[in-house]
Amino acid sequence: MASQLLHVTRTLSKLTLNTKCRVTNTLIKLERELPKQPLFNHASRNTNFFNKMPAEDLWKGITTVSNAGKKRGRGKTVSKKNIKDLNRGQIIGVGKANMLWPGLTAPVIRGKEIVEQQQLPEDPERQARLNQLRDQMGTHRHAKLSPIERGWSGAKMPGRSIGPPDPVGEDHFDGFDTKVLELKTVFNMKGNFGRKRRVSATVITGNKNGLVGFANGKGVEPRTAMRKAKNRSAQKLMHIKIFRNHTVYHDFFTQFAATKIYVWQKPEGYGLECHRAIKTICEVVGIKDLHAKVEGSTNVTYVMKAFLLGLVRQKTHQEIAEEKKLHLVEFTKETGCFPTVLASPAQCRKEDQLGKDEILDFTQYCFDGKVILKKKKYPPFYTKLKSYETYLKKQEKLRNKDKVKLDLIAQYGEIRSFLTEKYPECRPFRRAKKEEEQEAEA
Amino acid sequence: MAAFRYFSKKLLSSTLKTDIRAPVSNNYVVCVRLLSYTPMPYDGNPDPGPIFIKKEVQTLLTTLTRVDLAKVYRKRKLGGRQLEQPVYKFMTDEQLQEALDEAKRKVDEILQIPPVVAVRKPRDKVVSRDPALQGLDSSNYIFTDISYGVPDSERIILVRDTEGTLRDADWATRDRINQMYFPVARRQVTPPKMFEDDKLDDLLKRGEYNFILDRACLQFEPNDEFYQKVCSVTYQHINENNKFEDIRSTRHFGSFAFFIAWHKMIDNLLLDLIESEHIDEANALVELYAQLHGEKFRGNSIEEYIGKFSTKKAALELALQAYKNAAKQKHALEEGIKRAHGLN
Repeated sequence: MASQLLHVTRTLSKLTLNTKCRVTNTLIKLERELPKQPLFNHASRNTNFFNKMPAEDLWKGITTVSNAGKKRGRGKTVSKKNIKDLNRGQIIGVGKANMLWPGLTAPVIRGKEIVEQQQLPEDPERQARLNQLRDQMGTHRHAKLSPIERGWSGAKMPGRSIGPPDPVGEDHFDGFDTKVLELKTVFNMKGNFGRKRRVSATVITGNKNGLVGFANGKGVEPRTAMRKAKNRSAQKLMHIKIFRNHTVYHDFFTQFAATKIYVWQKPEGYGLECHRAIKTICEVVGIKDLHAKVEGSTNVTYVMKAFLLGLVRQKTHQEIAEEKKLHLVEFTKETGCFPTVLASPAQCRKEDQLGKDEILDFTQYCFDGKVILKKKKYPPFYTKLKSYETYLKKQEKLRNKDKVKLDLIAQYGEIRSFLTEKYPECRPFRRAKKEEEQEAEA
Repeated sequence: MAAFRYFSKKLLSSTLKTDIRAPVSNNYVVCVRLLSYTPMPYDGNPDPGPIFIKKEVQTLLTTLTRVDLAKVYRKRKLGGRQLEQPVYKFMTDEQLQEALDEAKRKVDEILQIPPVVAVRKPRDKVVSRDPALQGLDSSNYIFTDISYGVPDSERIILVRDTEGTLRDADWATRDRINQMYFPVARRQVTPPKMFEDDKLDDLLKRGEYNFILDRACLQFEPNDEFYQKVCSVTYQHINENNKFEDIRSTRHFGSFAFFIAWHKMIDNLLLDLIESEHIDEANALVELYAQLHGEKFRGNSIEEYIGKFSTKKAALELALQAYKNAAKQKHALEEGIKRAHGLN
């Protein structure tokens, strides 16, 4: 190719010679000096690794490593932190020089004038902006969740809310909320693919006022699985009775397979003291106070099924009264143990009509005669130690100190004793409040 | 009738301002209070105790209290950190009736009216003077008889002061010492700050009448001057703002009714009773007034009272007229219904 070029130049120089214009022929001189050898003596190739592959594949080649490669220990230095796309933030025609290119970075005609190519003053912030963009690359972090939005554990989905189900036609699920109970990877063997991986999601949706539904959904992506499960759960709603809008109607025992759950009704302000799955279900159903103990398997799906089974099987007080044919009366301490009738039967039984070994205790009746084994609580080991006795003796004189301190502060505005009047300089150290400190400084 | 009611309310509000300070002979030390009410303790001139304890007066006060079981057994705060789980019981008709009867029996105990008595006389009896003991110590000595079975009011508590005088302890010291040796549950040695003027004023503005009166009952003896001052200020506030419903069916309504009848300021309550058509209670209130002030009404006591003693004649007469008209209409309607049904 080089010889061809030389040939062309030679003919061109000859042409100039023919026009009788004497031009110093440097090229001809150069030819004489060069040895008569070709520049390359091997066949040249115009394709290589870099122009054979598309940019995307090249990029992938250096930023990732195949699964097989990973197993062999390749790509150990590949870290997302170091991978930076230098093209990001750059636009064709815009550069360090800050030139104005009509037709590329600016319109050709502005008004009636034709825009001319010109150099604008240099933008000093351009490089800084680019650097900042590059610094952000590779250090991406998940947005921090507020403690209320957080699920059971870390950034995992179980326990987290995924919003109300999607509206179906004109039916909107206002006031509903969906929470994920389980999100796990499942595999299936396919005839042509082999092991096929999918994600399974179990979610529960409810309106916090007794309506609740649960469903399972599968998908390749966790998001699709959750969406499927969420929308399916909205189609399987059931109603649950809530006592005084805060707790269950009565204590009960419920079982599904090997999962046994004891549930106790609790007064307002008690909160939800139970397995985390039960707590999540209660939040969605609208139960605010309850105590539950799971015995046996704590498989989340089974716990959910057992608990919902128990909730659905609840009897209202009217049903209980009708079944027993007796008044159901409540005695609360706050109302001075006044007998409040919760439910009365249409026909009440007389005293002599009661069976001999009939269960008349309400709690016994709720548990269907089942007696819960309550293990004896032994005192902790350290109560037998000599040192514990010493500790107790030392603590005895401090037993009401906090209350006395509080009383003194309420009465005198400070902690004082009978000696304070005599020795006013002896006062307990009190750290100044922030506002006071600022005032003192100013 | 609504128009009548409206007029009577208007008239009442126009006459209200002149009525705030009822003419009361108060020869006690005038206590400078931030509150806009003059405290009015029972000065024992005459002594209200014997009149209060009379059976007829007690019956009238109970009538005025208007027992409502739902309010007597209302939900109260017990001060614990957590509520307790209620007890549920299966009951037959008889058992339920028995439980309800038991609750009704307890009502008298719950609604027992705090006694109304004259303010206690200051104690200044000197047992002995021993000038020889002058300057023996820089503080007083208090001697207390702590034997059991002696009432707090009769317990011997003596003070030997630094001048060597052995005298009877004053009431404030007695209360403190009694609470120390024989504590009353939840009573404090020093009175709580809520009874201080500015704090009490705030509580009154918030309408926490039951809280003030309950706490005062717990903290003080009924013949304590401070107790009577706190109560009188609260009663006046209730009376002026017509907040009778707040203390009705509580133990304080009897004392309140007695207080306003004693100090001749029953007009507001009377108007309220007539307007709410509780004419029996209005009669009882006027009767109570008559009992306390030695009056005798013949015929219609309410009309007579309005004519003779009321300071809000116009408003009360209008309300009474409205009530009468309503009663007449009601009667006519009943007659009509009876006739329509073929009775009579």
